[in-house]
Order: sequence, then C-alpha cells, then structure tokens
Amino acid sequence: MDIFEQIKEAICKVQPGVDENKIASSALLKEDLEIDSLGQVELALALEDAFGLILLDEELEDLATVGDIVSLVESKS
Amino acid sequence: MLNRVVVTGYGAITPLGLTAEDTWHKLVDGVSGVDHISLFDATDFSVKIAGEARDFNPLDYLDPTTARYTDRFAQFAVAASLKAIEKAKLNIDDTNRYDIGILIGSGIGGLSTLSRQVEVLNTRGPSRVSPYVAPMMIADSAPSQVSIKTGIMGPNLSLVSSCSTGTDSIGIAYRMIKYGEIRLMIAGGADAAITPLGVAGFSQAGALSRNTDPQKASRPFDAKRDGFVIGEGAAVLVLESLDYAKSRGADILAEIVGYGATSDAYHITQPLESGEAAAKAIEFALVNVDRGDVDYINAHGTSTPLNDVSETRAIKKVFGDKAYEIPISSIKSMVGHMLGAAGALEAIVCCEVINKGIIPPTMNLEHPDPECDLDYVPNAARDGDIRIAISNSFGFGGHNSVLVTSRYSER
Repeated sequence: MDIFEQIKEAICKVQPGVDENKIASSALLKEDLEIDSLGQVELALALEDAFGLILLDEELEDLATVGDIVSLVESKS
Repeated sequence: MLNRVVVTGYGAITPLGLTAEDTWHKLVDGVSGVDHISLFDATDFSVKIAGEARDFNPLDYLDPTTARYTDRFAQFAVAASLKAIEKAKLNIDDTNRYDIGILIGSGIGGLSTLSRQVEVLNTRGPSRVSPYVAPMMIADSAPSQVSIKTGIMGPNLSLVSSCSTGTDSIGIAYRMIKYGEIRLMIAGGADAAITPLGVAGFSQAGALSRNTDPQKASRPFDAKRDGFVIGEGAAVLVLESLDYAKSRGADILAEIVGYGATSDAYHITQPLESGEAAAKAIEFALVNVDRGDVDYINAHGTSTPLNDVSETRAIKKVFGDKAYEIPISSIKSMVGHMLGAAGALEAIVCCEVINKGIIPPTMNLEHPDPECDLDYVPNAARDGDIRIAISNSFGFGGHNSVLVTSRYSER
C-alpha cells in the first residue's frame, strides 16, 4: 500500500464517518474532513501506528492538508 | 400541588436482547443471557463468564464518528433512550425541548476507555493520550450523548450510587416531576464494565461467582450461590407528569408511587447483615402505600452469599408474616448483574409484571437455603394479578434504594 492509501486508512480510522471521496491531497483536515484539534491527536497516534515512526508535536502543528501529511511521512521514512 | 408521575415508555439493551420486549419474553421463559466472555480474552482470569449484550451494534444508533468517540456504556444509553422515546411516541421539538430532562446514571462509567488510555499513556506517553478520554469516561457522557442525539435541552444529569444507580436515577427523576420541577424525564442507568480491569476488580473483591457453568452461575437465594455474574447494558424509562401525558395523548403503562433511599453506614462492600437500613428504605418508599397492598417484590437478589440473606431479612422486617405470601423474584438469575443498569431494567420488569400478569422466575433455585425461606418464584414463571410492585436495589457503599410501581388507574 502506498503512503497516501495508508494515510487515507488512518483518517478513516479516526474519523469513520468521513466521506472517503473527500480525502484528496489538497483536502483541508479541519474544514474538509472535520478533524479538529482533538481529532488531530487521535490521527497522530494512528499515523505512528501505521508507519512505525514517532511524530513530534511541532511537526503536527504545521499539518493543514492531507498532502502535508504525505510530505511529513515521506521526509521521515 | 404534587404531580402524579407515570411511565409512558421504556427501552433496554440487555444480555437477553436489544429491546425491552424481547428481554421480557426471555425472562418469562427462564432463558439465561450469561455465556463465556467474548469481549476480551479471559483465559488467565478466574472468572470467565458474563452477561454480554451480544449483537449490539452502535452504528444502528449513532453515526460512525460519534460511535467511535462514545464509550460502550453511553452507546447503550443512547440506544435504550431512543427506544424508550419511540415507545412513548414522544416528539421532541421547539415546543417542549426545555420541558424534558435526562437523568441516566452509570455505576462505573467508561472503564474500557480509561483502560485503553492508561495503556496508551504507559506505552506512548502523555502526548498521545486521547483528548476524548475525559468526555468518554465520565458517567454523564451517557445523558449528554442522549441530549445531543435527541435535541432534549432540559437538565442532563448523571448520578452514581454503584448498583443502586438505576433505581436512584428513576427515583430522583420521579421526585423532580412530582415536585413540579420538570414535566418529563428520560431516566435510567447504563454500564459496560465487562473489561479486564472490571472483571478482575470485582473478582478480587470476592463479589463474582467462580462457577464455570454460565447458565447456572447466577443462582440468587440458592444455598450454592457464590457470587454475582457481571452483566452489561442499559435500561431507560420515560417518566412524565400525568397531566403532561394526558395532554399529549400518551399511553400510560404504569405509575410510580414511591421511592425511598437509605445508607447502611457500615462497610464499603458488605451489606448490613441485619438488613435494617434496607428495611427502612422499603418503608420510606411505601410511605403512601399500605404494606398489605404490595403484590410483588423484584429483588436485588445478586446471588452473593451476603446480599440474599440480608435482603430476605429486610423484607421480613417490613412485612412480617406477610413476607411469606409475597412472590419475590430476581431476574439477575438470567441477565446477571447489570450494575448501574440493573435497577432500571428491574423497574421496566415491574411495569411488565403489572401489565402482563406474569411474574418472571428466579432461575437456578435448586437447593433451599434455610436463611432464604421466602417465595422466590423458583425456576418457572407464574401468573399473578399484580397491582403494586416494589423493586429493591442495593450497592457497594451501603446504598439501599427502593422504587414502588403501581398499575395506573384514574382516581
């Protein structure tokens, strides 16, 4: 599974009511996918589980879109 | 002026079914909802059985995201509330949403959420603990989720009195309506403590049966009883003032006519052996009812060695020789002990007993205990013309709570 698909899976896990078709690289986490600040913590845990890496709090603060997550994961892999 | 308080709806999620009606029919048939634990791997546990609400699917009641961030006990509460509201044919809209309140308690709260998050804390550190840990584990997440789901905007409250929680929640809701504070209350209890920590904790307290035969383990008032079987679920009633029920043309299922509560002031887990304070709770509940008119007692009847004796003593203290003539039964012999939901389900059962004229049995009562020598309706349901039923609930901490339900009649 490629990185995008794994991120999509993590988003669906923490936000199971989300419309999967909305999960695109340009999608805004908060506005488009309704992942608020509470959901971001859940998402961080799911991403760490999915990719076996540790995310820093300051890295998480800069995430606005799904594409930002892809870039972050790629940079750490 | 005091309001009369009537029951116009109820719903339940139990080890016997996903509706109050299905649960009732199985109780009458003496069916057990206890089985081997499937919610977690109980291999290493001395207790391996429980009354689980199998087949419960939260997605039948909540959207997927809300379901994920709602603990199982609160999911049960939402499901039972929606069923109760439907049965009561209650429309909630701008004309009445502030006239309706919710009081749904939980003895334990979100134990599975708490356990999971302790694990996250210990393995991943504080920055990965879910921000939902507090809103998911607090007992009042149950009434809060019901409020959010239904649009009810009166008070939403939770009370905690361990295994008396369901009865106390209904009792306090009854008083709120009786004294004119509110027109209608959604009231009951919910618990989902069949988790490794919950089962281990109650087991270590010596409260749980070690019997390995699931359907035989819960045996209230039997000489070979050795503890309760943990159950889970929720039960919720719609209570309202008689005037409000009439104004909206609701079907009246029963009337609540009394509630009494006392404390043992004795021990954090053991009941007062004499049953003295429990007897007082029954007397307080019956302050407006002639003791001679009580037709049925739904017992707390946990199947613990201590409870069943002290409860029997309490009943004898109140009713004297008449105690031997009153049919008494414990549905915990079939659903196990649903903790904070137990008293609420038992209130529903009292309504059904009154309306259907059938008394559900106490199952597994095979070896008489000389200290438990009343009529516990052993092993088979019985017909009975029941007008007034009382339900006892007692809990860790010395809670004694009693609710009195009556057949409704104009007077």
